[in-house]
Amino acid sequence: MAKHWYAEDKQLTVRMLLVMFLLAALYLGFIAVLWSSGMNIGGVVLIAAVLLGLQYYYSDRLVLWSMGAREVSRSEAPALHGSVERLSALADIPTPRVALVRTSVPNAFATGRNPKAAVVAVTTGLLERLNSAELDGVLAHELSHVRHRDVAVMTLASFFATVAQLLMRWMFWGGVYGGRRREGAAAMMLIYFASLVVWVISFFLIRALSRYRELAADRGAAAITGAPSQLSSALLKISGTIQKIPTRDLREVEAMNAFFIFPALSGDALSKLFSTHPSLEVRLAQLKELEQRMERR
Amino acid sequence: MKFLDALLGRSKPVRSELDRLFAMSTAALTLKVNLGLESSGRAGICFRPLTAGRFAEAEEELRRMGGIGERATNTRITFQTDEHGFRWVVLEDPEIEDLVAAMHMISLTLEEHGFGDRLLAAVFKFFEKGRPLFWIYNYKRGAFYPLVPAGEGQQRDNPAELRLRSLLEGELPMEADLERWYPLWGIPL
Repeated sequence: MAKHWYAEDKQLTVRMLLVMFLLAALYLGFIAVLWSSGMNIGGVVLIAAVLLGLQYYYSDRLVLWSMGAREVSRSEAPALHGSVERLSALADIPTPRVALVRTSVPNAFATGRNPKAAVVAVTTGLLERLNSAELDGVLAHELSHVRHRDVAVMTLASFFATVAQLLMRWMFWGGVYGGRRREGAAAMMLIYFASLVVWVISFFLIRALSRYRELAADRGAAAITGAPSQLSSALLKISGTIQKIPTRDLREVEAMNAFFIFPALSGDALSKLFSTHPSLEVRLAQLKELEQRMERR
Repeated sequence: MKFLDALLGRSKPVRSELDRLFAMSTAALTLKVNLGLESSGRAGICFRPLTAGRFAEAEEELRRMGGIGERATNTRITFQTDEHGFRWVVLEDPEIEDLVAAMHMISLTLEEHGFGDRLLAAVFKFFEKGRPLFWIYNYKRGAFYPLVPAGEGQQRDNPAELRLRSLLEGELPMEADLERWYPLWGIPL
């Protein structure tokens, strides 16, 4: 059988695996250090497990609450429900619940520990700005997050980062109030620095992983809707790029002689490391490539 | 040099880029085969006339060329002035290759008559399932961009335009800066 146009992106898969491998190696090293220090860190691991477990289990309620989202019934938002139902049928996942955030900022997110408990939320600003095809693109992106179980993956990926963070805090307060056992001081220092290193490195790795998951969700959205351009158009609209396409007549502009403007400077590379989402250009480039492969078939 | 020009407030007329027009003859095949876009057989060159005298001379030559062209390749040439005061050379030829070649030749003739920096745009009209759409070539930028009018009034179908860009990139020199995708309304094609 011929490869489908939305077949996996080898490079993306390799990168994702590499990041996961690095993260696992980092965590294993961390465990080794904790082990060799001879300290009983079982308590911290347990606390982290409980914390993340709760966060994971209640992710739907937690995120909805923190974003100020309200679940809406079918009668309240029939069109939105209809789209979500249709797309989840296409994606072959149970229809998630639908929530709405009252804000003019266009945005959408998905949460929930598994596809059965999933919620897809959109803001009113998004509904106002996008047409139905573009909204489908965004919803399909969120449904892909659900289908890829991104909440579970990211929770798991950040487990030892959380352990490291807890240890750091614990050591800090222990250092301030404790200090009663002198012989443990060297081991304490070692754990503190190991935690610091793990926390910092995992911060970047987790962000890289998040960016790759976003790109994977974009591909997933294209596979569900079969129209990558819907999502790119939505992304362009949300980012304000489509507003850049003028409607003013070329002849009027030419007459004004406002034709030669210096190109704007582009953003710097450092900010990329800190972001959880890939840049618009990267996302659009991927969608564009999918579109091209689709037409070439 | 650009920096110096900016510093001294100098501006020179930007030279027109003509040769990239030819990209349309191969791109038209892709448009037809892959996307089902049919050439309408009509294309136009839009430019701002300078002085009446010099222009009449150029137009006379174009008419002569038109006469020759018509006999050789069946390219029909007509002239129009639009509501902005811009002059249009409208070409008709069912063969897109001939159309592109004629567009290039006319642009060259206009350039020879000193209208090089007055050339504004070349426009190719296509049909997608009966809906008209245009590829606009900006001479000064040497790049194409799509214009898909939507509905009544001066509305554009941006998603369709962006889709065309993504599909034709690599075949047509594409205007990268979306802010320069200026439409032309009321194209006399």
